[in-house]
Amino acid sequence: MDRRCFVKSGVFALLALGRPPGFLTRSLLAQTTAAARKKTLICIFQRGAVDGLNMVIPFGDAAYYANRRATAIRAPSRAAENTAIDLDGFFGLHPSLSALHDLYGRNELAIVHAVGSPHPTRSHFEAQDFMETATPGMKSTRDGWLNRVLADTAHDCQCSGRRLEDGAAHAADHASGQVAMGGAAALRGIAMGSEMPRSMRGRAPTLAIADLDSFGVGGRDATMQDAFTRTYGSEAGTIIGSAADGAFEALQILKHADLARYRPAAGVNYPTTPFGRSLRQVAQLIKSGVGVEIAFVDIGGWDTHQAQGGVEGQLARRFDELARGIRALYDDLGDRMDDVVLMTMSEFGRTVHENGTGGTDHGHGTCMMVMGGPVRGGKVYGDWPGLQPEQLYERRDLDVTTDFRDLFAEVVRTHLGATSMDRIFPGYAIDPARARGVLRG
Amino acid sequence: MIRAPRLCVFLTALLANSAAAQTAGPEAARATHLLQRATWGARPADVDAVLAMGRTAWLDRQLEPRKIDDPAAEARLKSFPSLQRGMAEMVAEFQRLQRERRLAAQVASDTVVHDRRDARPARDSAAVRAARRANAALAPQLLLLDLASARITRAVETERQLEDVMTDFWYNHFNVYFGKGIDRFLVADYEANAIRPHVFGRFRDMLGATAKHPAMLFYLDNATSVAEGAIAAGRQRGLNENYARELLELHTLGVDGGYTQQDIVNVARALTGWSFTRPGGRAGDGLAFTFRRAMHDAEEKVVLGHRLKAGRGMEDGEEVLDLLARHPATARHIARKLVERFVTDQPDPAFVDELADVFIRTDGDLRAVTRALFTSERFYADAAMRAKVKTPFELVVSALRVTGAETGRSRGLVQTLRMLGQLPYNAAEPAGYPSASDDWVNSGAMVNRMNFALALAAGRLDGVRIDARGIFGGSAASDPKTRIRLLLAQLMPGVETGTLEATILREISQPSSSADQPTRDRDARRQAAVRALGLALGSPAFQKK
Repeated sequence: MDRRCFVKSGVFALLALGRPPGFLTRSLLAQTTAAARKKTLICIFQRGAVDGLNMVIPFGDAAYYANRRATAIRAPSRAAENTAIDLDGFFGLHPSLSALHDLYGRNELAIVHAVGSPHPTRSHFEAQDFMETATPGMKSTRDGWLNRVLADTAHDCQCSGRRLEDGAAHAADHASGQVAMGGAAALRGIAMGSEMPRSMRGRAPTLAIADLDSFGVGGRDATMQDAFTRTYGSEAGTIIGSAADGAFEALQILKHADLARYRPAAGVNYPTTPFGRSLRQVAQLIKSGVGVEIAFVDIGGWDTHQAQGGVEGQLARRFDELARGIRALYDDLGDRMDDVVLMTMSEFGRTVHENGTGGTDHGHGTCMMVMGGPVRGGKVYGDWPGLQPEQLYERRDLDVTTDFRDLFAEVVRTHLGATSMDRIFPGYAIDPARARGVLRG
Repeated sequence: MIRAPRLCVFLTALLANSAAAQTAGPEAARATHLLQRATWGARPADVDAVLAMGRTAWLDRQLEPRKIDDPAAEARLKSFPSLQRGMAEMVAEFQRLQRERRLAAQVASDTVVHDRRDARPARDSAAVRAARRANAALAPQLLLLDLASARITRAVETERQLEDVMTDFWYNHFNVYFGKGIDRFLVADYEANAIRPHVFGRFRDMLGATAKHPAMLFYLDNATSVAEGAIAAGRQRGLNENYARELLELHTLGVDGGYTQQDIVNVARALTGWSFTRPGGRAGDGLAFTFRRAMHDAEEKVVLGHRLKAGRGMEDGEEVLDLLARHPATARHIARKLVERFVTDQPDPAFVDELADVFIRTDGDLRAVTRALFTSERFYADAAMRAKVKTPFELVVSALRVTGAETGRSRGLVQTLRMLGQLPYNAAEPAGYPSASDDWVNSGAMVNRMNFALALAAGRLDGVRIDARGIFGGSAASDPKTRIRLLLAQLMPGVETGTLEATILREISQPSSSADQPTRDRDARRQAAVRALGLALGSPAFQKK
């Protein structure tokens, strides 16, 4: 049956009845949760350009120590504490990332090092734009790459008696991601925060949620949402009508998903920070089975020009929050991590050489983490370009040996089943042969 | 005195009635359409004014903004301290603070190195803390709060509506992003001096003013673009094509304007040396455009088939700007953007040609072009009427205007526009904010739009004063139905709102839960006003223009 139609009529039936009878609520939920795609991608954007060389330290490269003093992390050693945590004899995790170490041991955490953009810009805003549109050097791209993924993966149409070719309007609904199977279309792509990040902007419906607890129309006054639903009833078919419709549908499903019942799994403690809270709400949404396919979370504070610190200090505290947050999410989701991939990203790395104020300046290549059940972890991927002066990008930065688009493409192709690589990564030919093999295919 | 409020209410109702009566008919519809596009939102009184003086006369008056007194807006803008500070002063202070902070941090990090026994990093020194405090006054969030609030206030208050709307269009066309480095100190000056004075002047003058303004020179890196092989101070460099590319793609010819990568390179070469002086620099200059001859590429170059001879200086760049400003592709590109922004999302090619012809014929006289835009029969085509969805900025400003809300420094409004994605000065991309309806409409955005309407109606936006009961008051005697009709006529003059009227009527007849009778009555009246206003401002009809 046409589940989308069921959901819609279900929502309006609930409204018409005023109070949802329990059986209808349950069957509505059963339909949406059963239909919801099981696979989820969680993206964490480290805004401000993280020092990848201190996130995953190339302690085996002597040039690292030639360039770093106050910020240097010592090579692993049995005798000393506060050293890098050995991963493979050459790379080590920053000690403040220790919460993630056993995921690496369980082969569920993969690192891709010397990853980044081929574009030389060292401007945060340009590089973030380029990464989020996945079109380095092309400023005319308006939509975000994750939005294009949502549009691409929305076309497994099961609308009863209709096939994609059955009409331009129907096909267009799918092509733009307006119609999805199961759950509300707008709940497929969720950004935690008040602003919709560029990665998620575009024609496919997405929702930015600053705070799940207060998300809705009219706050506690539920009657306003119903009033607006009726107000927009006469707008069906128009651009604002469909968008509002998607919103009401999403809100209705969230309401009946009984989010308040959620408690983090036993022993799980999220950091009491905005980032920790965002991750907690991502887990809440995923565990409620409302059909989230892509979740996006920002974490700032990586632009460490001054007093970056080493084993402790400014950057170490950022790592600690990042790792504890991710680990809490990981443990909270438990078995569900079999269907979840979490990926970190940052617009570029930082200079190999420490600057005069105990920090590092804008660089080029950095590292990213990919984790989850489907990940072929326990390995640091990528070709190491080396840190000798002549090996550096423009003689100052870690070079890029993995184009971030190749990593992104592998993740969304393998994990989410995205197919239209030419549309998701316009102007760049994705060659599966370049995939690092980070995910089990 | 006791009777005065009643009298006011009565008069308001009378006026609203007369407006409602007048805003019917085709001429009223045209006047409303003109106001919805050429101002930040039509109010019944505005419609009456246009009907009284005629659309053309109204437009001609708006096209001469210097002749319109604007005391209310000017007075309100005085309350924003950031607008009163010069950009050079702010940059100089910022640089001084940066230097002090760096020195202090240096001292602090040396301390850490020497004190190895202490595992904890040294706490910030008093000097660092002091510098940080001083820096806070120049902190991006506070500056942006001020500048964006001032931008909203001006849009709401100014009598020079068309000038303000066109300033928004042209700022966006020549966008500079607040968030790039020192540009946060420069954008206000850029708008005031490179954009606003030229919106009814020559396109070539505005193009030149933007090309030479430090805000643009910094934003798109032309200030540091130097001839290959030139020795520039410190590290770096060579040619930077950033500005040249956007100049051709966005500011003038358009992406399909028929230029090549080689043209971009040669335009960049022609503009090498176009830079600006920093305050406190060696020459003791302020912050101003300068041409650095030593950085200029004086070799011969060809741009769009036009030869620029070797051995010249700044005139290379001027000649390129002349060439671009007069290029027919530029006329078409500008005309297309104007029609998309002010008429329909899918511009009528015939209208684009019509405007492009005016642009070419008048050598880019923007007063003539703007006049042609708003007087053309095509502007009033059926397909154009109420065919556009308001952008978030248009939504917010029009809501403040039609409700007579008073605004000042407002975190609530800034946060609203940030959430809706159109905070002034905050478009990171050189292309600025888009203007087509579907760029601004998605599920999350609709939730935010409705919540904005409810928050405004309930007076929950800090820095905004609104009187929901006054707006919805009508006379106590009139029945709810009439009051709703008057409310909608006030908010959306000339719009058919029968269904909305019925919906609101149903929604406001909810009982209140308060205890005693007088409180209940008072609460109920206020609740009804807030609900009615919130629903109206969040309605589909109010999203359109």
